[in-house]
Amino acid sequence: MRQPSFVERHLRVIFPLPAILFIALLMIFPIFYTLALSFTNWNLTSGMPMSFVGLRNFFRVFAEPRFHDAVWRTLSFTFLAVFFEAVLGTAIALILNRAFIGKGLAKLLLLLPLVATPVAVGIVFNLFYDPTIGLANWALSSLGLPQGLWVSDATSVLPSLVIVDVWQWTPMITLIVLAGLAGLSEEPFEAARVDGATPWQVLRHVTIPMVMPVILTAVILRLIDALKTFDIIFAMTGGGPGYASETLNIMGFKYSFEYFRMGQASVILIALFFFVLLCSLGIMKLRSSSEN
Amino acid sequence: MKKNVVHEILFYLVVIFISLMVLFPFLWMLSSSFKTQTDIIAWPPKLLFTPTLQNYEKVFGEQDFLKYFINSTVVGGLAVGLSLVLGLPAAYSISRFTQRRLALFILLARLMPGISFLMPWYIIFSRLDLMDTYVALVLSHMLIALPIVVWIMSAYFNSIPVELEESAMVDGATRQYAFWAIILPMSGPGIITSVTLSFIFSWNNFMFSQVLSMEKTKTLPIAVYNFVSYAEVDWGGVMAAAVAIMAPAIVLTMIFQKFVVKGLTMGAVKG
Amino acid sequence: MKKMLTSVVVLLSSLCLSAGAYAQTKEIRVLLANHPYGELLKSQIPEFEKQSGIKVNFESLQESQLTTKLTTEFATKSSSVDVFMTRPLQEGKMFNKNGWYEPLAKYDFSDYPKTVMGVAQAGGAPYLVPLVTEWQVLYYRKDLFKAAGLEVPKTFAELEAAAKKLNSDAVAGIASRGKGAAAVTQLSSYVYNYGGAYIDKGVAVFDKPAAIDAIRYYGKILGSYGPKGVTSMSWENIMPLFQAGKVAMWTDASVFYGQVVDPAKTQIPAADVGIANLPAGPKASSPFIVTSWGIAVANQSKNKEAALKFLDWASSKDLAIKGMLSNITMARTSVWKDPKVVAAVNPGLVATRDHAAEFGNPLDRPYMSAVGEARDQIGELIIESINTKGESAKLPEMAKAKAARVDELLKDAGEYGKP
Repeated sequence: MRQPSFVERHLRVIFPLPAILFIALLMIFPIFYTLALSFTNWNLTSGMPMSFVGLRNFFRVFAEPRFHDAVWRTLSFTFLAVFFEAVLGTAIALILNRAFIGKGLAKLLLLLPLVATPVAVGIVFNLFYDPTIGLANWALSSLGLPQGLWVSDATSVLPSLVIVDVWQWTPMITLIVLAGLAGLSEEPFEAARVDGATPWQVLRHVTIPMVMPVILTAVILRLIDALKTFDIIFAMTGGGPGYASETLNIMGFKYSFEYFRMGQASVILIALFFFVLLCSLGIMKLRSSSEN
Repeated sequence: MKKNVVHEILFYLVVIFISLMVLFPFLWMLSSSFKTQTDIIAWPPKLLFTPTLQNYEKVFGEQDFLKYFINSTVVGGLAVGLSLVLGLPAAYSISRFTQRRLALFILLARLMPGISFLMPWYIIFSRLDLMDTYVALVLSHMLIALPIVVWIMSAYFNSIPVELEESAMVDGATRQYAFWAIILPMSGPGIITSVTLSFIFSWNNFMFSQVLSMEKTKTLPIAVYNFVSYAEVDWGGVMAAAVAIMAPAIVLTMIFQKFVVKGLTMGAVKG
Repeated sequence: MKKMLTSVVVLLSSLCLSAGAYAQTKEIRVLLANHPYGELLKSQIPEFEKQSGIKVNFESLQESQLTTKLTTEFATKSSSVDVFMTRPLQEGKMFNKNGWYEPLAKYDFSDYPKTVMGVAQAGGAPYLVPLVTEWQVLYYRKDLFKAAGLEVPKTFAELEAAAKKLNSDAVAGIASRGKGAAAVTQLSSYVYNYGGAYIDKGVAVFDKPAAIDAIRYYGKILGSYGPKGVTSMSWENIMPLFQAGKVAMWTDASVFYGQVVDPAKTQIPAADVGIANLPAGPKASSPFIVTSWGIAVANQSKNKEAALKFLDWASSKDLAIKGMLSNITMARTSVWKDPKVVAAVNPGLVATRDHAAEFGNPLDRPYMSAVGEARDQIGELIIESINTKGESAKLPEMAKAKAARVDELLKDAGEYGKP
């Protein structure tokens, strides 16, 4: 047999190296840069040179009520959105999980929200929610219900944004669960039928436990993205009215690119990163325990 | 028997209802894009109206949308292309040498909130005078495309039996040659999946382009967002712009439906 | 594979090259705003290039993007900008403090009124040329006033009464910006008319009784008689409502006059649209009249001679007249007396400007470096007040906290206690 060349012997390093270098350069280096900035008072508008301020930015940001609100809001937006997406998405998948006329078309339709540009979706929903000319209020009033202010009011803005997110991402859970259902083996179902289980019992005790790992994985994927939701909030409300829809992502954006307080912005970004990391680790734990 | 018929009708009604819920914002957007400003602000909302093309004429005539369209295509195309160049070998390596830690490392790019590297990029690109250039945008969009390519392709390579390369290597070929001449030509479906998905995600990206691009390299999502110019909100124009930006992604999805579904679901179902 | 890589590298490097291809002699880089005057300059630039032999590379940007771009380019010392449009009240103070404006000692400023020059100079040294002025006015529907038997309000009490009478399910009595930070500029005239201010001698004073009264009044009329969802409305949301005939009165800047009477955009006949002075408050009748846009040369410019030539041309009287004729209210005094302009411009616009020029206040927002964040703070008070129809019990306390916060920002920037 021929002697493997240098390249071939080190293929496991050489092949991924460009990708690793790229990610290190574009992601790891910036993360450390952000970390470093969080200990400085750098502010583009002040015209003063950057200086080391220790943990002052952390104390200042963590003491800020606006920051607490943003944390709470980020978590509740994420929880509400992902909860409804998981429940609705699974329910729709269970309904569609049979042969029927037009199934291909229905699956195609489900794909459309997933590929629709979020900014444009946000703008379309803005017109839909407009209190004076929007279809949402027209629908309410023709049903004889009181009209709402939707994204224009501090109390209703978050649920209104959740609706948009649910509209756009529920199909993702549906498609994943459908794929999961298609891959299940027939045996447990037949065993259950032989035992005379009702369809409801089959659903509860066979189907759902069997697709649970798939659902949880879909939830992780959604959770990570929902925590980072930016486009629709930025396009629809910019964090308003007031700060009523300001999540950590939007707050970090404002501190960086509107206030130019790079030091404090870094603290917010680090906090957001930790939430994303914590949530995904938590769910991964949950998932591995549900598999055992 | 009768019970079954009722059951069936009920089932189709539910399916139609779900489809309508999904479709409705698209229909609303499409119909508004053919309305005049007067029809849009009419109350109650007009379901019947004389359609006009003036919004589309404005979007493509006055607003220079063609330029933004080209920008989006160039940025997405280059980012996806370069991500394939970097990502295919990496994915192969992850698959064949079971480098789980490497996979996690690349997945980190998917996990991290984009904004946390955006600020440093912004400062660095400004210093290098790269703001508002394709270089800055393509690099940033590669960070979207690369993890998708690696994620999908490593799973795809897993499904190709190792024996194929091994027999070629027994015949004297190098491993890299086997990858190039045997594995890649077999990877069409995986590549189509990853290209379609990563292109769509790049096409839809707002945050990176909002910060890193200005007039010269502005992409479509920014153009739509900026449609609110100094002194008016032109809803019809905005809706026409929204249609124009979503259309290519939707057409791509229709053509490559199977691949898109696979790409979106495979990670969850297999992993 | 190698071939592919090489071609990609070549492609990328050629992109770099094309991006950095300028910087020849007699070439300048100009940043313009997406503003009607920016558009006008854009259309005239070929003319300038022909007569001066200077090549102009221009970009036009949306206003907040322009500020962001200039700030980062200057702060990271990477800028190649020579001339730029600038908002004196938004960024002027900060840019000047950081030394980013080129002093304009030689420019002839005799055509600009004193009130206008206040924000164009520091310590007698001018650093930007004012281009456009805006002042606050009251737009109203003549037909609705007539039908209700109302006179145009002259005082805040009359304004409130008229709003109440005109308000119905179909038509909001009055509209003005309610969207937090965006509303701060429109609230300013109300604060002045109550005898208050945002900042006085470098200290935040919007927690004083006069300002609180103004914020309460603003919240009361908008909360009671304003359009639905007013707390998320800026001009871009209110203008279409006014154009659709869903608002009876609207207080905002004078720049929108052209749009509200444009028959292509509005459903109400131009003859039914009135323009009047903002009604007087208990203490004064002092609407803001501000230099919303100016033009300046960058201090780090390497082509100052050409840059100054462009500045002279862009702020010339000829172009100002062209601006006036396309409904842009220019800062130069003399153009308002030009016969061509006098024949074309709306008399209501002239009358409200005369009033504002004599009695008005040259600031419409907290004049400080960290203006963006300060506006967010005051914006919260506005929303709280509108939501409670001006009744909020915690408003004074909130205002105190916000003022303390703004003082902190002033201290951070070394501007606290300085006039």
